[in-house]
Amino acid sequence: MDVNDRIRQQLDEHSVLLYMKGTPDFPQCGFSGQTVAALKAVGKPFAYVNIFEDPEVREGLKAYSNWPTFPQLYVNGELVGGCDIVVEMYHSGELQELLAPVEHPA
Amino acid sequence: MSESRESKIRARLEARFTPVELQIRDQSHMHAGHAGAADGRGHFAVTIVSSEFAGTNRVQRHQMVYDALRALLESDIHALRIKALTPDER
Repeated sequence: MDVNDRIRQQLDEHSVLLYMKGTPDFPQCGFSGQTVAALKAVGKPFAYVNIFEDPEVREGLKAYSNWPTFPQLYVNGELVGGCDIVVEMYHSGELQELLAPVEHPA
Repeated sequence: MSESRESKIRARLEARFTPVELQIRDQSHMHAGHAGAADGRGHFAVTIVSSEFAGTNRVQRHQMVYDALRALLESDIHALRIKALTPDER
């Protein structure tokens, strides 16, 4: 399976997926940490991939999404954005709205 | 003295977007010492106002800015905060 197939599989399996540096409990970058904080504040379940543990996905995702930095949040397979966008959407209420239909464990 | 990273970023954004407003802040000092700063690339925050962003969504705007700075992302920029607006949204 090539890296694009692996990314597609991950996105298929998790309706809310955060590609981040570190883990939600131990983010290894301030931007990843702020994005986790926004998601936790919304309170819906989300899955994550620690890109430090998967260098192939780390590189592959930059090309897949035409987005060169992390974190990257995906909902239903679509790129929502990085830290700036997610935090902005949290403050405007759009993130809560976007995640409202998410019920089952991500 | 070599061209500063900030002026390299400015030159590329001005060429691509002819912005009516452009602010670039070097925030590298706020991150000195953390792992991402170890390779010497910097943290920057960009506020850019341009009619080029009309009709695009937030993700597309960030992608447009990243595209314009692609080469610098390899050499000079570790992290970039982006606020991209059209003149009407200011």
